[in-house]
Amino acid sequence: MDKILVVDSVSKEYPGRAAVKNVSFSVKAGSIHGFLGPNGAGKSTTMKMIAGLLPVSSGRIELFGKPIATQDISKLIGMLPENPPLYLEMTVRGYVEFVAKLHQQTNIQTRVEEVLKDLSLSEVADRIIGNLSKGYKQRVGLAQALVYDAPFIILDEPTNGLDPQSVVELREFIKKLAQKKTILFSSHILSEVEHLCDEITIIHQGEVKASGAMSVIRGAARAGLVIRLGISRDQKLPDLGRFGKVEIKKVSSEEIEDLYELHFEAGKDVRKELSRHLFESGVDILTMTLESPELEDIFLQMTEKV
Amino acid sequence: MIYHIWKKEVESYFSSPLAYVLIGLFSLISGVIFFNLLVTYSDGILAIPAHMAQEISFVDEVVVKLFANINFIFLFFIPLITMKSFSEEKKQQTLDIYWLSSVSEWKLILAKNLAALTLISAMLLLTCVYPLVIWGVGIRDFTILGSSYLSLFLNAAAYIALGIFCSTLTSNQIVAALLAILGVMGMWMITWGGHLHSNYLLAEIFTYLGISSHFERILRGLIGTQDLIYYVSFIFLFNFMAIKSLGKRNW
Repeated sequence: MDKILVVDSVSKEYPGRAAVKNVSFSVKAGSIHGFLGPNGAGKSTTMKMIAGLLPVSSGRIELFGKPIATQDISKLIGMLPENPPLYLEMTVRGYVEFVAKLHQQTNIQTRVEEVLKDLSLSEVADRIIGNLSKGYKQRVGLAQALVYDAPFIILDEPTNGLDPQSVVELREFIKKLAQKKTILFSSHILSEVEHLCDEITIIHQGEVKASGAMSVIRGAARAGLVIRLGISRDQKLPDLGRFGKVEIKKVSSEEIEDLYELHFEAGKDVRKELSRHLFESGVDILTMTLESPELEDIFLQMTEKV
Repeated sequence: MIYHIWKKEVESYFSSPLAYVLIGLFSLISGVIFFNLLVTYSDGILAIPAHMAQEISFVDEVVVKLFANINFIFLFFIPLITMKSFSEEKKQQTLDIYWLSSVSEWKLILAKNLAALTLISAMLLLTCVYPLVIWGVGIRDFTILGSSYLSLFLNAAAYIALGIFCSTLTSNQIVAALLAILGVMGMWMITWGGHLHSNYLLAEIFTYLGISSHFERILRGLIGTQDLIYYVSFIFLFNFMAIKSLGKRNW
């Protein structure tokens, strides 16, 4: 099956306020799908609807080809909500075992030890959760989502509030996890999504702004084409009118080279034509690189306040 | 499933100091009351001529009063026991783990009722020392002891159902406890409506709705079907409302 999750025109309305408006996207099997948006964009609401924790006001959510309302999703979805649902008075092992029992997991002892080991929780297994650091608590939350071996994992801002070391460790773990599972991963941190995810969905003010493979998103962005050009310092840039609207920015002046950043409004790659044009105008090209727009630029463009 | 949740809840009660403080306080207060009742009773017996001693009933003077007093302690203690059952879960947002598994609201609520009843039963178990003491001093009048315990147990179950319902309403434990205390008091005070002389029917309805008339009848060993039906419907009603209150997440 290609698409594990299909979210189709889903809305969530609260009295007088629409939290999520007409959201559609899909998650491919075996991918890490980044769900990106500023705080309050509707990420958590959407994820809760997918996990069946909140009913949809309208629209359709299908998991493994079937509507979620018509199937028992307790074995299919593992979820780490934004605030890990932890019983602070329980021990790590006791808690993970308890969740496994709720999901009627077989071979509980073996499975629990396996998950504790995977998440490097074995040495704190008999400690009270309330006494652990935030990084450990987050891992216990993750253990809870993984212990019953669901094929689809939802992680709502899992790295939020962790120290840099824990963030790196968690990201590495998520990467490893993706070899076996499909992951929907939300974040408001761009670099994180950029490094981890194969596909992304950008959501803002309850609406999907873009969704698809990272490369497609970059291409679709109206950032257009940016070429970094270095020419001999004693020469001048010729008229570039034939390439449509071009924004020219002088970035720096080096010893023998003037560096420009050329923003072409049209998204087409014009490097060939540009180099020929410059050559014919007698300008020496010292460097020419194609800049791909950073996800951050795309994100800021899409979420800028109108 | 219910067993796993019940076990977790009982362990959670006994992992917090509140349970031990309440059990300790309960034993202390009920012990002092029992001692006082015994002293008052024996003083009363000694103060009157021997041939009139039969007039003072041990059951009325000690057993009934003791159990009525324990019931009064429950009025404050049970809301303290049930206050965190759902409000804490709401605050820590831990209910999600049940909804993500296939545990239904009613199983969860039943397990929590049973867990609180377990704690109350532990408290009641400690009071079994009193009948032993009474037996030790040579009083063998135990006719109503069974029904007295039954009445307390049923009352406790009713307060627990009400307390658990109150804790589904808020994420603040203190508010949940206060609501439950008010609720239980209200169930007692409804009985006062029974003194309404102008309207016989209304007075009868108030008497039936109030918890005290049922409690007192069972306490004295007069176990009637209408009393049992009252407790069953009371417990069912508040647990049903708790299910509905939890279900409002679906709004």
